Amino acid sequence: MNKKPAWLSFVGLLVIVSLLFSACSPGQKPPASSSPTEAPAEIHFAFLSFNKIPETDALASVEEAINAITVPKINATVKLHPFSVTDYAQQVTLLLQSGEGLDVYHTLGDLPQRVANNEFIDISTMIDQYAPETKALVGDDFLKTATLHGKLYGIPAYKGMAMAPQLVYRADIMEEIGVDPATIKSVYDLTEVFAKVKAKYPDMIPLVPVQTGNIGLITLLMSTQYKVDFLGDSYFTPVAVLIGDDMHVVNFYETQAFRDIVNLAREWYEKGYVLKDAATTTSNVLEFMSAGKAFAYIAAYAGNQAYTQISAQTGQPIRMVRLAQPYLSSTSVNALTWGVSTISKHPEAALKFINLLFTDKDVINLVIYGIEGRDYVKIDEYHVKYPEGKDASTVPYTAQLSCGIVGNQFIQYQMEGTDMDDLKLMEYELKHSAMSPAMGFTFDGSSVVNEYSAVVNVINEYVPGLTTGSMDPAEIPNFLEKLKSAGIEKIVAAKQQQLDEWLSTQK
Amino acid sequence: MKRKHSFLKSFSHELPLLLLALPGLVYLIINNYIPMLGIIIAFKKLDYAKGILKSDWVGLKNFEFLFSTPDAWIMTRNTLLYNLAFIIIGTIFAIVLAIMMNEIADRFFAKYFQGMYLLPNLISWVVVSYIVFAFLNADTGLIPKVILPALRAKDINFYTSPGYWPFILLIVFLWKNTGYTSVIYLSSIAGIDRTIYEAARIDGAGKLDQIRYITLPLLKPTIIILFLFSIGRMMYSDFGLFYQVTLNSGALFSTTQTIDTYVYRALMQFNNVNMASAAGVYQSIVGFILVLGANLLIKKINPENALF
Repeated sequence: MNKKPAWLSFVGLLVIVSLLFSACSPGQKPPASSSPTEAPAEIHFAFLSFNKIPETDALASVEEAINAITVPKINATVKLHPFSVTDYAQQVTLLLQSGEGLDVYHTLGDLPQRVANNEFIDISTMIDQYAPETKALVGDDFLKTATLHGKLYGIPAYKGMAMAPQLVYRADIMEEIGVDPATIKSVYDLTEVFAKVKAKYPDMIPLVPVQTGNIGLITLLMSTQYKVDFLGDSYFTPVAVLIGDDMHVVNFYETQAFRDIVNLAREWYEKGYVLKDAATTTSNVLEFMSAGKAFAYIAAYAGNQAYTQISAQTGQPIRMVRLAQPYLSSTSVNALTWGVSTISKHPEAALKFINLLFTDKDVINLVIYGIEGRDYVKIDEYHVKYPEGKDASTVPYTAQLSCGIVGNQFIQYQMEGTDMDDLKLMEYELKHSAMSPAMGFTFDGSSVVNEYSAVVNVINEYVPGLTTGSMDPAEIPNFLEKLKSAGIEKIVAAKQQQLDEWLSTQK
Repeated sequence: MKRKHSFLKSFSHELPLLLLALPGLVYLIINNYIPMLGIIIAFKKLDYAKGILKSDWVGLKNFEFLFSTPDAWIMTRNTLLYNLAFIIIGTIFAIVLAIMMNEIADRFFAKYFQGMYLLPNLISWVVVSYIVFAFLNADTGLIPKVILPALRAKDINFYTSPGYWPFILLIVFLWKNTGYTSVIYLSSIAGIDRTIYEAARIDGAGKLDQIRYITLPLLKPTIIILFLFSIGRMMYSDFGLFYQVTLNSGALFSTTQTIDTYVYRALMQFNNVNMASAAGVYQSIVGFILVLGANLLIKKINPENALF
């Protein structure tokens, strides 16, 4: 008899549990009404912001201003969800599972995984009806990069994607050591430059890493220097790649390109030209430059004038010089792809909204800069600045650093001091840069996901050390052996097979 | 009739107690039991259009990545051996420290040392990782730049030399955790009846005899409970210690990679909820089995000390 209350309360517990669980289970969509005079569709719109995430009322005021345009144009209202880079993936996942929903968002170099999760709807036919201007603007070559298994899942952001590896250096020191930057034609000319820096400034580090474990030599791969197409692999962990016009997928670590950058890195490391802790340091490259301890770093930038911003941020006279020319591949194009989520209740309106992000100057500038007068002031037709006495961290709303993420970069206002010629150069190079022969091919790695996790683990063990010079290149044979046992050959084969299939449909 | 009456009576008698327990129960149910339903994600292929409940079942496919790597053995070995070392050496250090602190007669110093030993435990791993970095980094670190040259020893780049890390990690672990664990032992020692020690002293037992024959035997239940707790977490590793303190340095993987850091790195790459859940379920099940096994063993050897 004593057991009865326990049993009863257990049943009660189960009821509570099941009630709670069903309350948050998805899939209870209300039936969509289709009357012509319906209320505006609400579009939830998530994007990555590198700025301070604005307060709710600042967001609401921008939403209101956007709605004033979108309601008459596409009969939709917009909810903004800006997320910081550390939160983005997680918050998007949460919104996709919550009742609030999510309609429009972008990938972060993970389009194939998101497609495999069935997160984006197929817009192959809808795009002609709801976003024809964007289709014409972005062009078929780039749209192909967001096409998997013959279906179009999104629209790549239209921005300065043609990035060239550049040496970003202290102009004053370059002058002191008597080197004319115009004589620097390739990365191999740098050894001599660094030697002169080291001789004249023994306390200075000639080259600092641009990120943990990356002294910038990786950027040379995606340039005319080596013409490597990563075929969808992550920037830091290329696995199976194409080199130049050869359509045979190869293990990247067996290529001459890899040996070249490893040997160069080792030479620099042994001569003391590179920060010794480059493989592990978490210091920001701008900190090194601001502190005046470093001479240069290597990174990829679109255009040629990013140094004006870097000079302003570091307080040093910074200039840059190209080490090679841009080389475009699917990986550089579809990293940021805008799509409509499969849980969207208003996919048509969502796609129309994406169209506005690519074509409507007013909408995109509201998203990026906020409200004129409060968040920014105009200087001329193209340029804006923060209001007197304010900056990016004190205005109520700005997403200025996301200018290359949302929609179309070339119809946005530019910050004070930006040379419009540089923007024109970016747009020109976007259309006229060297291109991988597999442009448009996107690899779906879901069949080899276990091999990928094993292979990437091996890569993480060796590559940061090898490409920053702190690990002896004599380790390469061990590295290759471990890659093999982790199953890299299976990935190469799977990629080759998908590439061959893709090629046969491209006739 | 009478029985029902007594039931009602006992129920009304217990009602205040039940009400007292209610907030805790509700918390446990919401925080610890409902999320367990999430285990199903480990056996599904999540499809956002269908939602969690309606996604397709895929059996054990999500677990494969844990075992497909040739490093599966290394990371399991690292996880288990480090934990074993931490449990055994950590317990010895904590007990010794607790006994020593218990012997401090001066109240002020007793509190002072307790506070000092507890302090490292309050420092976050990220901060600890920079303290270690200040000692070890190749460009400005204290050990490579000052101590090793003074000893005329060979220059060492610690962050690319895996051989040193089992010791470094053990030292860092002890520095951070010994104070905290010793407080638990200290409170158990404080609970021991003083008259037992007095009796022993009268019978001529010295300090060491008192520790050996009184303190340690009476600490046994505490040691066993803490040991069982640790055993249940054998398959987990302190993420901060193995990821932050090593600065995620790839060159150190052979001695620092554990199951947690492997899973974290793999999933940062793939953002795959299914595989993450699979890893969690795997660790929980092995931990559960280890707790049951250890408890069974203790029950065999010494029944009154078993947890359940």
